[in-house]
Amino acid sequence: MAVREDLGVSEMKSGGDDELSMFNKENLQSNMKVIYYSRTFLSIIGGVIAGIWGFTGLTGFIFYVLIMGITSLGLAAKAKFSAQTYFDNWNRILLDGFFGGLMSFVLFWTFAYDIVHIF
Amino acid sequence: MGAGFVVGVLGCLILSHAAYSTVQYRGMLKIVEEEFNGPPISVVIELLLGLALSVWAGLSAPGKFLSILPDSDENRMVSLPANLDFLTFNHRARAFPCDPELKLKR
Repeated sequence: MAVREDLGVSEMKSGGDDELSMFNKENLQSNMKVIYYSRTFLSIIGGVIAGIWGFTGLTGFIFYVLIMGITSLGLAAKAKFSAQTYFDNWNRILLDGFFGGLMSFVLFWTFAYDIVHIF
Repeated sequence: MGAGFVVGVLGCLILSHAAYSTVQYRGMLKIVEEEFNGPPISVVIELLLGLALSVWAGLSAPGKFLSILPDSDENRMVSLPANLDFLTFNHRARAFPCDPELKLKR
């Protein structure tokens, strides 16, 4: 009986006015896709630039963090600095795709460095 | 899509020209037998220009953000008929806590 009462209470809580948040899932996924494209493209471009510039070692990774910072700033500006309108969470703009982009960055960094400086 | 794409192609062209200049610079360094300490200033300027164009392209080309709020103007599927007095609604949406007045904007 006590269990039943608890269930009722939790349902009341989850169905309460302030707890429930609704958003358009299709539009959220479309926004996520836009962010994913931007980050992947800019990590590739950043990798090519780091390779041509001749960065080696830690400098290149600092450059990557810099590029991702610029990207996050640009995406936040694109969302008009109100993440709640377009995303459920600020981390979607600031962090999503960081490590996925790092792989492409390293790939194109070494690729451009090899072409320009070694061959 | 159009303008951002063209800017991105332009940025890639500038980057490839910067790469070509750096290759030539390395060849020149090999002839005069000096060490490489960073690319020349013209290449750096080209790289930064290419980066700026690519950032612009990367932010604008993939498309616009769409609002996810259920009661924003962009997400309204239907515009209600002008005469609202004789319409009655009784469906499952009343379980949602949103303010019904928001939907009645003409």
